[in-house]
Amino acid sequence: MPDTDGGPGGGAGDGKGGNGMARAAGSALNDEQLRAVLAAAGASGSWDWDIAGERLFLDASFADLYGLPTDQIRDGFPTATFFRSIHPEDRPRIRIAVAGMLAGASLFSKEFRVVTPAGKVLWMHGRGQCHLDADDEPLRFTGLLVDVTERKRTEERLRIAQSAGGVGTFEYNDGFATVSVSTEFCVLLGLHPADRLPLRTINSVVSEGELALIPEGVQGALPDTLAGEFLIRRGDDGELRWIARRGEVQYEADGTGYRLLGVIYDVTNAKRQEATLRELAETLEQRVAAEVAERQHAEEALRQAQKMEAVGQLTGGIAHDFNNLLTIIIGSIDMASRRVAPSADPRVRRSLEQAMKGAERAAALTHRLLAFSRRQPLDPRAVNVRDLLEGMSDLLSRTITEAIAIAIDANSGVWMIEADPHQLENAILNLAVNARDAMPEGGSLRITARNAVHSGTGGDMPAGDYVAIEVVDNGVGMDEATLAKVFDPFFTTKDVGKGTGLGLSMVYGFAKQSGGGIDIASEPGSGTRVVLHLPRGDASAVEDQAYHPAAEDFGRPSETILVVEDDDDVRRYAVGALCDLGYRVLEAADGFAALDLLRGRDRPVDLLVTDVVMPRMSGSELAQSAHEIVPGLGVLYTSGYPHDAIMHEGRLGEGVELLSKPFTMQALAAKVRELLDR
Amino acid sequence: MSVTVMIVDDSKLARIVASKALAQLQPEWSKVEAGSAREALEVIENETVDVSLIDFNMSETDGLELAAELRAMRPEMPIAIITANIQDEIIARAREVGAAFIAKPVTSDGLSGFLSGAALKLRTTRA
Amino acid sequence: MIPEQVALTELERDALTEIVNIGVSRAASSLRKMIGEQVLLSVPSIEVVSHRRAARLISEREVAELIAVRQDFRGPFSGRALLIFPETNSLELVRAVTGGELSAEEVVEMEHEALAETGNVILNSCLATMANMLKRSLTMTIPEVLRGNGATLFEVDESGAEEGLVLFLYIDFAVRMRDIRGYIAMLMDIPSLATLKELLDEFIASVVGDDA
Repeated sequence: MPDTDGGPGGGAGDGKGGNGMARAAGSALNDEQLRAVLAAAGASGSWDWDIAGERLFLDASFADLYGLPTDQIRDGFPTATFFRSIHPEDRPRIRIAVAGMLAGASLFSKEFRVVTPAGKVLWMHGRGQCHLDADDEPLRFTGLLVDVTERKRTEERLRIAQSAGGVGTFEYNDGFATVSVSTEFCVLLGLHPADRLPLRTINSVVSEGELALIPEGVQGALPDTLAGEFLIRRGDDGELRWIARRGEVQYEADGTGYRLLGVIYDVTNAKRQEATLRELAETLEQRVAAEVAERQHAEEALRQAQKMEAVGQLTGGIAHDFNNLLTIIIGSIDMASRRVAPSADPRVRRSLEQAMKGAERAAALTHRLLAFSRRQPLDPRAVNVRDLLEGMSDLLSRTITEAIAIAIDANSGVWMIEADPHQLENAILNLAVNARDAMPEGGSLRITARNAVHSGTGGDMPAGDYVAIEVVDNGVGMDEATLAKVFDPFFTTKDVGKGTGLGLSMVYGFAKQSGGGIDIASEPGSGTRVVLHLPRGDASAVEDQAYHPAAEDFGRPSETILVVEDDDDVRRYAVGALCDLGYRVLEAADGFAALDLLRGRDRPVDLLVTDVVMPRMSGSELAQSAHEIVPGLGVLYTSGYPHDAIMHEGRLGEGVELLSKPFTMQALAAKVRELLDR
Repeated sequence: MSVTVMIVDDSKLARIVASKALAQLQPEWSKVEAGSAREALEVIENETVDVSLIDFNMSETDGLELAAELRAMRPEMPIAIITANIQDEIIARAREVGAAFIAKPVTSDGLSGFLSGAALKLRTTRA
Repeated sequence: MIPEQVALTELERDALTEIVNIGVSRAASSLRKMIGEQVLLSVPSIEVVSHRRAARLISEREVAELIAVRQDFRGPFSGRALLIFPETNSLELVRAVTGGELSAEEVVEMEHEALAETGNVILNSCLATMANMLKRSLTMTIPEVLRGNGATLFEVDESGAEEGLVLFLYIDFAVRMRDIRGYIAMLMDIPSLATLKELLDEFIASVVGDDA
């Protein structure tokens, strides 16, 4: 076998006296054996060019390849024979290369096509070297031919695959300043395509602080594989890309150095996804925690709302029944009181008074229940807060013990609001009572009213103008746990029998229903502040004339009222009350009877008082039909049942008059009078 | 036989290299150095020089010119032109002047042929 | 823009590569003799480029300051040959060629000399062989040692109106054990390159004959 130095770079050493093909007789292997050895090595032929003797010696395989007579092998061939079967397109190139060898160049390594006698075209890799004599004169040029047809095809396919698959290859000999690269390699890094690229140029595309893509001069610390990923800035467009490198380290047999062989490919997309995933994974915990917290919050809010809703429905149902019962009770007590003779036992009157108080308190309670369930029909009107508060000062003084100092503060600049004044009074009273209960040893209570403009952010009140009514005490205050439940109906801090726990929930309900809101702040030991926000009223609204409980108004016999009510007891009471008040009263148990009465009358009916919810025909249906008979007929609805079609969002429709049950004779009288006077 | 070899080269390193090779082949021979053609002529006037090794690529007077002068002075002296400049022309001109041609870098192998020839010649001349 | 008249055909490139190969093989062989160790050569890459680009090509390959041995040649084509090393390698080279003959101080003293002589041997071997192949004669000057970067060595003219071109031969020759490597560059003006081209054609004709 020819003596070769070094790897693909070639060796410039002096291969003096290489034994080449052992031409001389007495060689170690005979030709046949040698041929077998060479064939086993994959050689398709070998040659020995005697430069000085100008004779070319070929082995049998080579001769076969070229279609030369094998009996001439021993004598050799003319040197020109070397080029005989080489493809004409490749011949000039090979001639030049051989000329170089003959002149002393060290390594011959060329690929060229050979055309066999049969006309087949094969790709051959010829690898040879020049043997010099003592004076450095070329003596012999020897080498091997290896059939690389298949490899060429594979290489072509590989090259295509590389460029299609975006894979670039490189080979680097330790110590060199350049790297052998493929076109695709250059393309991937955005560098000008070339066979060899300077090490520095390649490594210059790598981002700051990253390891070199092709490491240089790393002695002993080389890993087994070159697997790694690098962030680069492409040479042509400056785009940031992730490049993966794979490959291996080949150490030179004599241990003097190493070669790096490998591939690179672009993994930017995968890397980006990876980064996103990693970020997601890292923040996963936080995001899960945040999600959970949010959901818990929402669930809590929902639960709360549902609870309120459920309680509301419950209380609404109870309230309805109660209302009817109370109407009867109150009405009856009322009537009994009037008929008690002045000469009767004073205890009788007192008992009746007590009974009445009890019944009225029960009525107030049901009102609060209804208010909480937000089904209390509100009768909002323009209210001057300052006047209202001043009007309450008496009531407050009576309710609050002397040990507590009361201050009411509202200047004249406070806006008008639109709210149900009666309910507002109730609300403020409720707050005052709570404040009183929080100061058993005494303290101070302050009620203020001021204008407030809300921006609408962070709260559930829309942006706009409001009047804030504050009730502040310096009592025992409440802790956080209590504060959280303070608007819950039936939640109470008071002892059994000392409160139903409906106060604040009623205030809450009232505030919400009025289009405002309520805030509460408290510090154990320092006191509590409750702020009631109510929307400012329409500036053009006419202030209601001082809201006074109306004095009893009496009726005239000329005024006829038709009472329609399906509940016999309630109807009897209402009819009785109205008669007592001096009106002419007609009655009907249902709408049909009522209409009959209306039609058959020769004397006009001045007012229709009807229950809203009745079987077969509702109050509003009756009113509609009645208006066809008597246009302009006034209608007063009575109702103890909160859900009414005539109501919109807790407020009465325009022009609709409602008297809620249970009603006192006073209320009935006032309302009737009011309507008849219109 | 005592032999003195003159080594003419403007590079000290080259003189060292040549001396080394010389010492390996003929340890008992002595040497004398010159850094230019002018120095060489001085040396040859003042001392006995039996063999000359001359670098071709020198400033002012190049090796071949010096060789020609020396040949004129000493027709029988073995002279070798030492140079990396292995152009055919140079080789031919060396031959014309009757000088051997040794390619740089000088090794004992490269020098041995010339030295044995020179030794033989000197023996015959002196004999 | 490389002028038309000096753009090399593929065959001319092959021929030049071959000739350079021979020259450098010879030079490497000389170097091996001087050092006593294996010298590895890469396949030479040949480009005909402007001075500026030559400077840049070198800068891309080498970080350090460079040391060069420069030798001018005159003949049918004229120019300047440079043997270039990264400066960090040069003392190593000196140590290698003086082969332990000298003490450390002497090595440092001799650096300039040793480089000049080594450069002399390598460039002469290379140029002389090329001349022989092209069947022409060249006259070489005394080699000089220079230090600088790519721009100074190639005398890059800032105005950019450089008429000359550089035959930039990049050959990795490495002495692994010693971490020595270098390049050879030849600067020639356009007429010289044109002549070179003609000579290459002659060479090709003589070698390829009827196959051309």
